[in-house]
Amino acid sequence: MSEVIIEVKDLMFTYGKSQVKAVDGLSFKVKKGEIFGLLGPSGAGKSTTQKILTRLLKGYGGTITYLGKDLSAYDNTFYEDIGVGFELPVHFSKLTGEENMAFFSRLYRKQVDVAPLLKRVGLYEDKDKMVGSYSKGMKMRLNFVRALLNDPKVLFLDEVTNGLDPKNARIIKDMIRAFKEQGGTVILTTHLMNDVEELCDNIAFISGGRIKEIATPRELKIKYGKRILDVEYALNGKTKQNTFDLDGLSNNDTFMSILKNHDIETMHSGETSLDDIFIKVTGESIHE
Amino acid sequence: MNNFGTLLKGEFQRLSKYKIMQAGIGVSLLWVATLFLIGPDDAGMFLPLFVFMDVSLMTVLLIGSGLFYERQENTLKTLLITPTKFSHIIYSKLITAVIIALQSALILGLLGYFFFDVGIQFHYLIAFTVLISFMHAMLGFVFAVLLKDFPSLLASIMLYMIVFAFPSIFYALDILSTTWSYILIISPTHASMLLVELAFGEPVNGWMIVVSIVYLIVITLVFAKWIVFPNYFKKAIED
Repeated sequence: MSEVIIEVKDLMFTYGKSQVKAVDGLSFKVKKGEIFGLLGPSGAGKSTTQKILTRLLKGYGGTITYLGKDLSAYDNTFYEDIGVGFELPVHFSKLTGEENMAFFSRLYRKQVDVAPLLKRVGLYEDKDKMVGSYSKGMKMRLNFVRALLNDPKVLFLDEVTNGLDPKNARIIKDMIRAFKEQGGTVILTTHLMNDVEELCDNIAFISGGRIKEIATPRELKIKYGKRILDVEYALNGKTKQNTFDLDGLSNNDTFMSILKNHDIETMHSGETSLDDIFIKVTGESIHE
Repeated sequence: MNNFGTLLKGEFQRLSKYKIMQAGIGVSLLWVATLFLIGPDDAGMFLPLFVFMDVSLMTVLLIGSGLFYERQENTLKTLLITPTKFSHIIYSKLITAVIIALQSALILGLLGYFFFDVGIQFHYLIAFTVLISFMHAMLGFVFAVLLKDFPSLLASIMLYMIVFAFPSIFYALDILSTTWSYILIISPTHASMLLVELAFGEPVNGWMIVVSIVYLIVITLVFAKWIVFPNYFKKAIED
């Protein structure tokens, strides 16, 4: 059984004098080597949860343990273990990309060679340019490199592919997968279902500060999908459509006859998308 | 190099890259040019005034603008997830501001000493510059905690000048009578002004010196304990 890295029990948090709980009784576990997705629309409480887990917000209710020890018992050396990729660019705009990385790197005991990371995300050629001249996509890629500077065990990533074109989003997703394959653990906060489907082993849907559903993407699809198969086929020059139950499909004579005697045009199972599941589970749209 | 050293080095690097240090030196040179225009007869009267402006108002502006840049660029958040003590982040900024103020005060002090024959007690000048600039740097943090944006910072510094600094300047230029000295002591700028005048060899009442030093220390501690340390990071995180 995999080691539990982070365990959250009945987590509660309220900002200042607000009457509304930003986080209201969250409980979940993140195992070593897992990519855990926190999903939800804006204001759902996912970024607040991440800020609590990274010890930026104090005064929460409930308990959080990191490697079996209460999170509040850690001092700032906890940050030697983790890397955080923020949703917005977090760099000094009048320093170059390389100067930014060099400065932050020196604050850690363990440091990685930055050049290969910059090369991997396609920023090596621009390392001597001031970050202020970077595009948003470049700044987000630098954010990701910043999160890896101390060779962390756990990565907290907030909307990490936000503002990236498909090619660069692919590079970042490949790097996240490689990080996982090397034993790293990732907590991914996002509202982008593509990222979730591609990367996450487990996901928690959050709405109104509460977890509405927590499972693997496959379990959710099975739970919320329809066990049907839609088949479109050609008959006398026209398209015909039939729907079959997945249960007992191999014994369904009509289905078998269509397969044998007609040209199949399309075939779709009743599998639902994570977008649809989210709307079903929370009653809210996932997109901002 | 430990993290505090790294932070301090980073502060100086950014002061230079963001041209804040150059602007500070530029202002000092402006004072130097003004002193040469005023001439040796009146330079002795204006020199403490220029030092006072540099180590107090310029310090608030320097640290305040740096902190607003930092807020705009979200860089404090990424510093807070490093194994660095929160207090070290604040102290590195305060110490940088003090060093910049010392640089300005010494440029003007040495100029006065060598070119205008002004009697300067350098040990006082250094000690009081540290105290005054530290207090005003803390005030810069207070503004960063309480205010929303850079224009509000500029407006607040202007208000601070009008309410606190101008009366002290008028007093220093003998526009206000000596009676005002006892009223103005409630102003942190006046306490600062008295200490700068002492460093430039002007006669200052003994107990006024003590009151000024204690007052500046107390204000600094109050700002630090009740406004800056409890709220500065909280505000950055919740932004």
